[in-house]
Amino acid sequence: MRIVIAEDAALFRAGLARLLEDEGHQVCAAVADAAALLAAADEHHPDVVIADIRMPPAYTDEGLRAAIELRQAHPGTAVLILSQYIETVYAARLLSASPSGVGYLLKDRVADVDEFTGAVTRVAAGGTALDPEVVRHLLAASRHAGGLDTLTARERDVLALMAEGRSNAGIAATLVLTLGTAEKHVASIFAKLRLPASETDNRRVLAVLRYLQSL
Amino acid sequence: MDAASLVSPVLRGPFTGRARREVAFCVLTLPFGVFIPLAGFFATADAGLLLGSGPPWVADGNPSGLAVAAAVGVAALLTVLLVTTGAARRLTAACRRLAGWLLGERVAAPAPLPGRRLAARLGDGPGWRALAYLLLKLPVMLLELYAVAVFWGAGLANLTYPFWWQSFRNHPPGAHLSAVPVITPFDWLGQGHFTVATFPGTFAAFAAGAGMLLAAPWVTRAVVAADRRLIRGLLSPGSSARRLADLERTRALAVDDAAARLRRLERDLHDGAQIRLATLAMNLGMAKKKLGGSGAVPDADAARELVDAALQGARDALGELRELARGIHPPVLDNGLPDALASLAASSAIPAQMACRLPDRAAPAIEAIAYFCAAELLANAAKHSAASTIKIDLSERAGRLMLTVADDGRGGADPARGSGLAGLAQRAAVIDGSLTITSPPGGPTRVTIEIPLHA
Repeated sequence: MRIVIAEDAALFRAGLARLLEDEGHQVCAAVADAAALLAAADEHHPDVVIADIRMPPAYTDEGLRAAIELRQAHPGTAVLILSQYIETVYAARLLSASPSGVGYLLKDRVADVDEFTGAVTRVAAGGTALDPEVVRHLLAASRHAGGLDTLTARERDVLALMAEGRSNAGIAATLVLTLGTAEKHVASIFAKLRLPASETDNRRVLAVLRYLQSL
Repeated sequence: MDAASLVSPVLRGPFTGRARREVAFCVLTLPFGVFIPLAGFFATADAGLLLGSGPPWVADGNPSGLAVAAAVGVAALLTVLLVTTGAARRLTAACRRLAGWLLGERVAAPAPLPGRRLAARLGDGPGWRALAYLLLKLPVMLLELYAVAVFWGAGLANLTYPFWWQSFRNHPPGAHLSAVPVITPFDWLGQGHFTVATFPGTFAAFAAGAGMLLAAPWVTRAVVAADRRLIRGLLSPGSSARRLADLERTRALAVDDAAARLRRLERDLHDGAQIRLATLAMNLGMAKKKLGGSGAVPDADAARELVDAALQGARDALGELRELARGIHPPVLDNGLPDALASLAASSAIPAQMACRLPDRAAPAIEAIAYFCAAELLANAAKHSAASTIKIDLSERAGRLMLTVADDGRGGADPARGSGLAGLAQRAAVIDGSLTITSPPGGPTRVTIEIPLHA
């Protein structure tokens, strides 16, 4: 995959580039701020952009804004946000702007190389990758809106893994279920959250969004 | 100083904007000085009329005891009314605004009139002080009137004598003409009054006028200065109100300072130790991958290199965390300020000597503030002063801690130029302390911080 990195801490940026190259990806550019990120994306048309949220000049959320802008300008480029903090509002903004091909992970997750490259691949393929931390926040938050309180404990676990961006097979493997059981749980979640099957919407993402909006 | 630099302000004096504004102030505030005497006059006159004996001062012989009592009673009633209705405040508010506008004497308005209850209004300090101003304004107003009418008015009039003399004094020879008086500032002393009867004499009047006009701005300035003092002393919020305003201001500073410090701390952690540890974890993760699952190591060289990088990262992160922790609260400070300052002096970039005459320990919060001020001053000196030695002096005077940091550098330290000195002054102000800087260009620099031993 062709990747562009935007990260203002030089050491972390260099390490990340090396990690991705060791895993056989091509790092087209590694830049330090949001403006350079947008320029590099225009130039290289990468498959994935990996960006920090807090970058110069204002050190607030320029990475996130650049990511949202980028998804609109280049629908073929997936975006994975890496940050030292997980803010659920940022997750909500990212997902509502673009419900697929996006991810939001803590920087800590990079330490598990396989997990991390898995998330990069998933996002590049149009999936989502939400940090377990985001999911934990969401589950701890209000469970009373939009039918969330009707979910069983098991369905909650499944929804948590869905939120992280896992496929049914991935959920089955993680929870040690058969694929059929996992699919049944997923279908039950869709039913309880009243998400009808449709050609145009990704129901998995809508289910996660329902969580985010219930905050 | 040469003669020109002395003469030119004198010659330009009457034409400056300041002179114009001060004259305008004198004229516009004149009614305020007249107000109280007029009110008193009518009140006592009315009291006299009410009793059928006429005002006390026109009554034949000695005024009766009743008339005096009535006059005093009415005057007291008038005084109370002026204060309780807020009339005195409203009158002086106009004075305060004029002083701000014309004299640049910006005095904060006192707190608003208290409640509607009579007792509260009778105890209205600013109202009574406003009344005192109106009373004291009378003599000041007379002086202001004297300055404006005599020095400016008569001065200008005297200047005109030579110009109209010929047109009015062209009578045939032999006609007897009385001399024309010339007003001088000394008329009221019974001296200095003189008259002119001939055209050349008018030049004496002109000279007198010119002299009066040259003196006018300085006389005006002097009498207006008295008015300024009255306004500052009587029309500003009272001392407790000023203290309250001070406390509110410094509390806002303290809150901002605390918030800014937390923000800086978060930023330092985010950009320092946190990202180093994330990088370290990433390096270890990569190294683990290079070491393989079990058995033979697929890429030992790369793994070794990554572990080295991780180790370096761990050391750096530890170092940063140590610095950060020390920045929050230096552990040596628990041993007392002298030890903490000595360790600060020992690690100073410029050789520093330390003298301590502090019999008692200050409150911990005070010690911390003094320590961080000293640290900032040493860092400032290292950055800007080019000094070769620094002296740190710690002593106690009248229950206050005095910390002096003096260097033999090039001086020119200016809090206005944002060298952190303004921040130190603010921090000291929060605990009723002060910061004194003497730093002439060329040096030496001497900064003294004075704070209470116990906040």
